[in-house]
Amino acid sequence: MFQQVDFSALDLPPSARALQLEVRAFLRAEMAAGTFEVHLGHTEFNAALSKKIGARGWIGMTWPKRYGGQERSYLDRFVMTEEMLAVAAPCAAHWFGDRQTGPSLLRYGSETQRQRFLPAIARGEFAFALGMSEPNAGSDLAAVKTRAERVDGGWKINGQKVWTSWGHKADAFFVLCRTAPDSGNRHDGLSQLIVELKQPGVTVRPIYFMDGGHHFNEIFFDDVFVPDDMVVGDIGAGWRQITSELALERSGPERYMTTFPLFVELVRRLGKSPDARAAEMIGRLTAGIWSLRRMSLAIAMTLDPGPGAEFGTPKATVDLATEAALVKDLGTFYEREIIDAARLLSDVEPEHGAKNLFERFLAESIVAAPVSTLRGGTTQVLRGLIARKLLGRLK
Amino acid sequence: MSDATEIRNMLVDAATRVFADHVDAKLLDAAKRDGWSADLWRIVSDAQLPLIGIAEEKGGSGGSLSDQAAVLRIAARYAAPIPLAETALAAWLLTEAGLPLIDGPLTIAPVRGETIQAKRDGASWRLTGRVSRVPFARACRRLVVLATATEGLLVATVDPAQCKITAGSNLAFESRDAVDLDNAPAENAALTTAVTPATLRLRGALARALQIAGALEAALELSVRYAGERVQFGRKIAEFQAIQHELARFAGETAAAVGASMSAAGVLERGGDAHLAVASAKIRCSRAAQEGSMIAHQVHGAIGFTDRYALHHATLRLWAWREEFGNEAMWAEALGRSMAAAGADGLWPALTGN
Ligand SMILES: Cc1cc2nc3c(=O)[nH]c(=O)nc-3n(C[C@H](O)[C@H](O)[C@H](O)COP(=O)(O)OP(=O)(O)OC[C@H]3O[C@@H](n4cnc5c(N)ncnc54)[C@H](O)[C@@H]3O)c2cc1C
Repeated sequence: MFQQVDFSALDLPPSARALQLEVRAFLRAEMAAGTFEVHLGHTEFNAALSKKIGARGWIGMTWPKRYGGQERSYLDRFVMTEEMLAVAAPCAAHWFGDRQTGPSLLRYGSETQRQRFLPAIARGEFAFALGMSEPNAGSDLAAVKTRAERVDGGWKINGQKVWTSWGHKADAFFVLCRTAPDSGNRHDGLSQLIVELKQPGVTVRPIYFMDGGHHFNEIFFDDVFVPDDMVVGDIGAGWRQITSELALERSGPERYMTTFPLFVELVRRLGKSPDARAAEMIGRLTAGIWSLRRMSLAIAMTLDPGPGAEFGTPKATVDLATEAALVKDLGTFYEREIIDAARLLSDVEPEHGAKNLFERFLAESIVAAPVSTLRGGTTQVLRGLIARKLLGRLK
Repeated sequence: MSDATEIRNMLVDAATRVFADHVDAKLLDAAKRDGWSADLWRIVSDAQLPLIGIAEEKGGSGGSLSDQAAVLRIAARYAAPIPLAETALAAWLLTEAGLPLIDGPLTIAPVRGETIQAKRDGASWRLTGRVSRVPFARACRRLVVLATATEGLLVATVDPAQCKITAGSNLAFESRDAVDLDNAPAENAALTTAVTPATLRLRGALARALQIAGALEAALELSVRYAGERVQFGRKIAEFQAIQHELARFAGETAAAVGASMSAAGVLERGGDAHLAVASAKIRCSRAAQEGSMIAHQVHGAIGFTDRYALHHATLRLWAWREEFGNEAMWAEALGRSMAAAGADGLWPALTGN
């Protein structure tokens, strides 16, 4: 593990350090102006803020300039992301595009798709959602049943997606579906199609969280027509396309920082001279995030293609998928340590929507706590993947 | 890959060969009796590994602190029972104080917050104090002590023959001895402001963090191999998902220890908040030592508990090293106090160093 990574040489270049302060100052000003209210647990959808972030050049920042990107390094993107997370800025309107669908289009999309979507994502004007899960296809994603049939000039979709975050606000989503029946190898015959959400035949229904929040949706397709030019990559290659390049997405700061603002408020609450027990917990939490950040940074730095390479595409020669899974696994449990420390040191009976910031963050974090070990690969699935890599070396 | 990284990879390969070729069950068993291995020291010394990370013009073998860190980690992977970390710490004290390096195995004192008093004796110095748990005191050629004089802090070298040494050991049977200095003559000494007990402790904690990372790598490797061999219920135990998930968790703890300790070495070498880095590394590694050692033994069953099987060389060291130069609670409290003092709004800037 981490053989290809040099931990002792993790210096951020001056460009990244400058950007760090720039993003921080921007967010501070936005918060002072009351542009957004901070909520923990699930990054909120704030189209106006995403547009401002896009205008700064902070969406798709590693992409080629001809597609609206900035041709900046992964490290620049790393610091931008962690600054957003440090204050839990509401990024849902551009997050999926920046992190998943944009890079997929760069890699597999047609020139038309890139021209049409990438600059719009980068401006923060076009929001994507992800349509992978179905009622009977969770971890076992190859079990998707949504079908697309060949019709004149395109495909006709029928079926259902579920747990689609922000499907009620996004403009379009990537839909993983079957374009050929399962003929033995279940990973064949799957394809990725881009489906616009506001069109006849697409029905979006809310599914509410236990605290009443609306993020999730179920989405039904009733003879929805998708033209050929909205097929991402090759028909039948959907599985390979979604499983490649998970490393960067899986090991990013969003895997260990979603409760960080609670840590900050905890430190504020405990004051400048905490007792020994509180100090020890603060120390442990500090060590935890410091260590995770170094691992995450190491992956970003190692995957950075460097100047001259095709922007937005990670270095093809290094495979850090297992390392990324390790970071995610550790990170998701670290987030819970913050929640526990906050609970145990504060003696607060948490309440939804509490006025006090610390108390509200605590309530929101507790309710969201189960989530991080489910989405983006459950703990069990990740550990299976890591173990296969470990044991594979024996053969 | 940068040049520095490539040179380090070559160094790691060379060091790995030295330890792999020479550390075996017989040598480790003998070291359990003797508290260390003089034979291995000679070999490692011939390979010029002890003074990696000390500049050549100062009498070292050259290379960076990260190179030294890599060697310490590899040595620990093989449970090398020699004062490699201690010699590096002693060499650091000597060079910082402007004193010449000494050949041979060295150690440092005090390591547990005690004090050694230094008094002038004409042109020279005499040292008095009782210090405990000094690593490899009975094996070293010279002790390098950081003593307190009325004039300030003093780095001094002492011949162990001039001290009363009472043998002791850590859980891994490595020598950890009580040293009684009763007006012992310093051979060579210099007043210094370049080092303090706190910076010595910091460097010591970093060394132990790196060693923990290496021992965890060894224990993980053994556990993975064993799981692929041991058959129960007609299957290799590696085929049980419960075992797979424990191994995956173990890999995570190990990676965290490697990442934190090597990163901390990099911070010390290249600049940054050394206290944050080393405290974090020692806290994280000590915790990983607990999680990892327990998984290793669980996967191995009874055989892991025996002195015939190699696992204990790693796990006994994990349990010893996590306490040395401050355990995770002590470092966490100190780190927590400094973060709290910087205030809530200082937390993120401190973590990012910006
Ligand atoms: C907040 C949130 C947002 C989400 N947003 C989206 C979205 O926008 N789009 C989208 O498509 N999906 C989304 N999801 C769905 C997410 O991808 C799934 O929850 C995830 O894939 C797990 O599937 P599942 O919930 O059906 O659980 P299951 O797969 O049914 O798992 C249930 C339990 O069984 C375990 N399990 C399953 N297989 C194995 C195995 N082989 N070995 C051991 N244990 C196993 C799991 O680890 C888990 O503990 C979101 C989920 C959450 C919580």
